[in-house]
Amino acid sequence: MNDDLYLDNDEQSVIIVMTSGPSTPERCATPFYLGSILSSMDAEVRIFFTMEGVRLCQRGVPENLQAMEGGKYVIEFMRDARSAGVELHLCSPALPGYEIDPERDIIDEVDEVSGGGVLADLILSSDKVITF
Amino acid sequence: MECNGCEFRPELYYDEGYQIWVRREEDGTLTVGMTDLSQTIAGKILTLRVRRPGTRRPSGKPVATIESGKWAGPVPNVFDCEILEGNEEALEDPSLLNIEPYDAWIARVSPVNGADAALADLKVGEEAREGYCQRARDEDIHCERNIR
Repeated sequence: MNDDLYLDNDEQSVIIVMTSGPSTPERCATPFYLGSILSSMDAEVRIFFTMEGVRLCQRGVPENLQAMEGGKYVIEFMRDARSAGVELHLCSPALPGYEIDPERDIIDEVDEVSGGGVLADLILSSDKVITF
Repeated sequence: MECNGCEFRPELYYDEGYQIWVRREEDGTLTVGMTDLSQTIAGKILTLRVRRPGTRRPSGKPVATIESGKWAGPVPNVFDCEILEGNEEALEDPSLLNIEPYDAWIARVSPVNGADAALADLKVGEEAREGYCQRARDEDIHCERNIR
């Protein structure tokens, strides 16, 4: 048996802090792709959108954004990640700066809108922290 | 038997989303693989990794992970089982999942509560064919099996 071909990792928690947004579309697919893989490897994965990243949760933005020309739309990467078990969290203090109304403008895929304290807790309690 | 060019095998059992197929073996074990629909949606599969043999996988915990150029995620698991072995041919050459989705199995598992209990909630036969074809039609999926 070739050991390298089998998965044998422990369960871990991972927080991906997503600060990239529509101004750098090429940075907007990999975090979700990686999150999907980690989740399917039994990691408990949360993606926390803050700074410009919150714009990816604004209705009409991820549906029309591609990381590369001709590729999948970002919303599809986000949905794939959720299907794999990734939770999507949105930073509420970042919303006013982008004139995003959490009651009206947020895509349905977001699991939770929460404050900076929640992000701080997640950073301190997760096994791994990754920022994009 | 095909729908939109997607091969369907009536003797196999299928999950709700027709992502995986399950075959009952004579020794009470089950073999799991990806459907033609799934491999088409995934595109060219670049990596397949199966959980280590001996690992217990409760329902909801994937038996394997796949990666293609445009998709990454779990091979879902819908019953409590223990991994017996992975298909080393497919592990070495994951594109076999694209070429022969029903011959290139992914893992052989032992259902913890027996095969009958594991298969009880899966779809088979005519009901499965209808659901499989419905998904192909609804999502306008046209299968390709020659991706290498």
